[in-house]
Amino acid sequence: MTQPGRPTAKKPAVVRPVGWLLRRILPRHEAEMSLGDLLEDLHDSGSQRRFTLDACSVILHGIARRARSRAHTSERNRMGTRMESLLMDVKFAARSLWKRPGFALVVLVTLALGIGAATAIFSVFEGILLRPLPLADPDRLVAANELDGEDRMPFAWPNYKDFRDRAQSFESLACHQANAFNLVGNGPARRVSGRLVCASFFDVLGVPMQAGRTFTASDDALGATPVAVVSDRFWKQDLGGDPSVIGRTLRTTELIFTVVGVLPPGFRFARPEDIYAPIGLTITPASGWLARGNHFGLNAVGRLKAAVSAQQADAELKRIAENLKREYPNTNARSSAEVVPLRERLVDQVRGTLEALMGAVAFLLLLACVNVANLFVARGAARRHELAIRAALGSSRLRVIRQLLAESSLLSLVGGVLGVAVAYWFLRTLIALAPDGIPRIEDIRLNRASLAFAFGSSALCGLIFGAFPALQASSFRGTQMLTRAGSMGQVSSRRTRRVLMAIEVALALVLLTGCGLMARTMARLNAVDPGFDPNGLTTARVVLSGDAWNDAGRRLAFHDSVLTEVRRIPGVTAAALTLSLPIEGSNWGSIFIVRDKPVPPRPDLPAAAFIPVSPDYFQTMGMRLRAGRAFTDADNPASRRVVIVNETFARRLWPGEDPLGRQVKQGWPETPEADAPWREVVGVVADVTLEGVDQDVPMQAYLPLRQNPSRSVAIVARTSVRPEFVGRQLETAVHTIEKDLAVTRVLPMTELMRNAIARQRLSTMILGVFAAVALLLAAVGLYGVVSHSVTERTREIGVRMALGSGRSAVLKLFVMHGLATAAAGTVVGMAGVFALSRWLETLLFGIEPTDPVTFVAVAVVLLIVAAAACYIPARRAARLDPLNALRAE
Amino acid sequence: MTEPTPLGELEHLILLAILRLRADAYGLSVARELQAQAGRPLSRGALYTSLERLELKGLIRWKLETGGPERQGLPKRVYTVTPRGVASVRASRRLLRRMWRGLDDVLKEPAP
Repeated sequence: MTQPGRPTAKKPAVVRPVGWLLRRILPRHEAEMSLGDLLEDLHDSGSQRRFTLDACSVILHGIARRARSRAHTSERNRMGTRMESLLMDVKFAARSLWKRPGFALVVLVTLALGIGAATAIFSVFEGILLRPLPLADPDRLVAANELDGEDRMPFAWPNYKDFRDRAQSFESLACHQANAFNLVGNGPARRVSGRLVCASFFDVLGVPMQAGRTFTASDDALGATPVAVVSDRFWKQDLGGDPSVIGRTLRTTELIFTVVGVLPPGFRFARPEDIYAPIGLTITPASGWLARGNHFGLNAVGRLKAAVSAQQADAELKRIAENLKREYPNTNARSSAEVVPLRERLVDQVRGTLEALMGAVAFLLLLACVNVANLFVARGAARRHELAIRAALGSSRLRVIRQLLAESSLLSLVGGVLGVAVAYWFLRTLIALAPDGIPRIEDIRLNRASLAFAFGSSALCGLIFGAFPALQASSFRGTQMLTRAGSMGQVSSRRTRRVLMAIEVALALVLLTGCGLMARTMARLNAVDPGFDPNGLTTARVVLSGDAWNDAGRRLAFHDSVLTEVRRIPGVTAAALTLSLPIEGSNWGSIFIVRDKPVPPRPDLPAAAFIPVSPDYFQTMGMRLRAGRAFTDADNPASRRVVIVNETFARRLWPGEDPLGRQVKQGWPETPEADAPWREVVGVVADVTLEGVDQDVPMQAYLPLRQNPSRSVAIVARTSVRPEFVGRQLETAVHTIEKDLAVTRVLPMTELMRNAIARQRLSTMILGVFAAVALLLAAVGLYGVVSHSVTERTREIGVRMALGSGRSAVLKLFVMHGLATAAAGTVVGMAGVFALSRWLETLLFGIEPTDPVTFVAVAVVLLIVAAAACYIPARRAARLDPLNALRAE
Repeated sequence: MTEPTPLGELEHLILLAILRLRADAYGLSVARELQAQAGRPLSRGALYTSLERLELKGLIRWKLETGGPERQGLPKRVYTVTPRGVASVRASRRLLRRMWRGLDDVLKEPAP
């Protein structure tokens, strides 16, 4: 057929891979023989399609033949390698699970929920608390600040300089202060967040510039040419990615800055900020910075020397603070200082919340594990017969255990994969719902650590819930099981299940209690009387910064015209101005003295929040006047200095006395009257939750805005329409008077209040979901235990009924049986909660972590659900026909 | 000698094909013979599997021959039917004949 001399056609591309495959799958002779046939056929027919089809057929049959012969030899001779027999175990496990898809489904859903929730929370925990800061050598970075008694306090500028010059622990120390820049030019003015920093700030953090340079000591001085460094985001979005950005100018109300540097992408200190400028530009003698008693939001970040720990640096600053106290007793009597690792400082507000959630989710994961273990024990009991046969046929005990472990590992692995999917979804939801201002939230993602966690926990789960039933089921003796004498095994499996069930109930109780405590906290928070009516209030803030506003008269005129404009807006029924809004917190804390009382020693001088407000403020806010009068237009710069105090102020200073007509003065006794005049108390108003609904009400002293025309004012407008509609018009009102003023934080008051408790609300929501899942798992578990025992004891029920036991007695028997387990779990859970509840303490408000109402309520809810879960199978038992029951196998 | 092994239909056909091909029975030629005479499309993999089974039963044996350039020098297995295989085919023929007897009226082919 072939002509030997004919040159062979070029080999088609499929030949080589087919040959490769055949040689891998078949013994050498066979491979060569069949490839020869295929090639000959190809040579004669020229059909590549037929070649490919035939080749596939040979390969597939080859695989099948190989598998058959291998299974044959490994079963018969135990010659199979370890790997192969493991593969067999897994294959067998998959098949036996496939036969009962319901069981596998319940297990997988349970595991996916448990592992998914745990992985998502772990990702948050890891991203915020564990991962090092994305800065150079972050472990040596520390935050430093002063302390007022126990409370954190920013540095006074002269104190900061003393600490910086005297401390030996730091390679370098740099100060910084959050600052918003009022950008003008190019459309309406706007506030851009930023920070005023020492020249060495970026060197301390170890951040190289993407373009240009950082600040030098000569930039950081009064009267220097103003320069700025901008973020990568600001450069790309606001400056259009201009390649010649270095040297461009940024005009603010205060100064005109020249851009000298661009930060690298992804740089972030504390929160995303856009403009950094040297702090030295603002430290003028008139600014008050130079007074040792003024603490203006100045904080410090330091890089420790190589061998120095944060504790040592902390101790050193405390020693320096003691010296300063002796040197400046007037101002430093109460102050100390502290140093903590920078990472801890950045995240310390959320640490408690995250630790509590991580704890909760660990309980949920454990609960899921126990629940699955329970299902496995039940299945093991149901499979006694199968296992017995295998044992009788000569399967070793080890082999049976391995088989059962293969099943649980397979399930936990698939559960882990599903869990990662759940975690992905859950994490996205969490980030979307997270309240503003959570530090490092940009760092949160499902990363390698999260995946390692997910699969680590799924492997651990597999071992935990697999080991139990495997050991138990494999301990049965083959002969015992085949004869009907296996009831010993039944009893022991029932006992195991009841113990597991009690553990489950205990875990669920812990989660339910956590959720209950949070729910009570939310109720308390919502029930707090804020001291004013937040509904229908809209707020916005305007800051009159720059030298142009140094003239108090100009500021007063601005305040008047803003109020006139705002009152003109349709729907606005009242409007007022204030320095500090409730919830947002005080902007001006100050010590003071009282004329008719002895002056206490310096460390004990009282302090209050001083709040200049316009005349209609109390009425606009819906605050209640308790005594005296509100401010009027007659309280002006020319009239007598007056003050209105809140109830707390009056109660603390003049308990049981009439506060009206008393006099107070800000500052020290020796502060000259020109700086701080005596003011007469003319009224008392109800307390307002100034620092947030979950904080104590401080002493508050309201001053007439006309006598204290502050640069920063919040506009509050009461509206008869929805506050959202007015926000835009507040901005317009300001811009008709002065177009270069940025209007910021335009928010309905109700939203401000909601934001204030957003952390608690989110925690409550998460714990609520966890608790619901826990309750569901516990209920399903209980249902399963009781239902299973009804099935097992069918004959016994028949006997009982035949002997005259009533249906209600049978019902009671099974309900009580389940409830006893639940009650045991409840008791154990209670003990657990007592031990653990202090973890929740940071999240709670107005209740104790051992709140008896919550405990009783949770126990009752749990027992009711338990009773319901037991009732359903128990009713089935009670409805059995005794004759059928007696005949039951 | 023990009873000849009973044959499945495919095994029967393969044995007959090998016998018909005499000295030239190897994988591809057997496949072509079956296709040509029996009109039976048989997947190549199934054919090799059946050949292996027949070999295991001791009905055929093979020896390796070097191949020509049309198969790039790859060897081929040339099959022969063992005496035991021939006995099995005979037994099948006897069985079929017995079963056909008396069915001439039914099985008579229609005149062409």
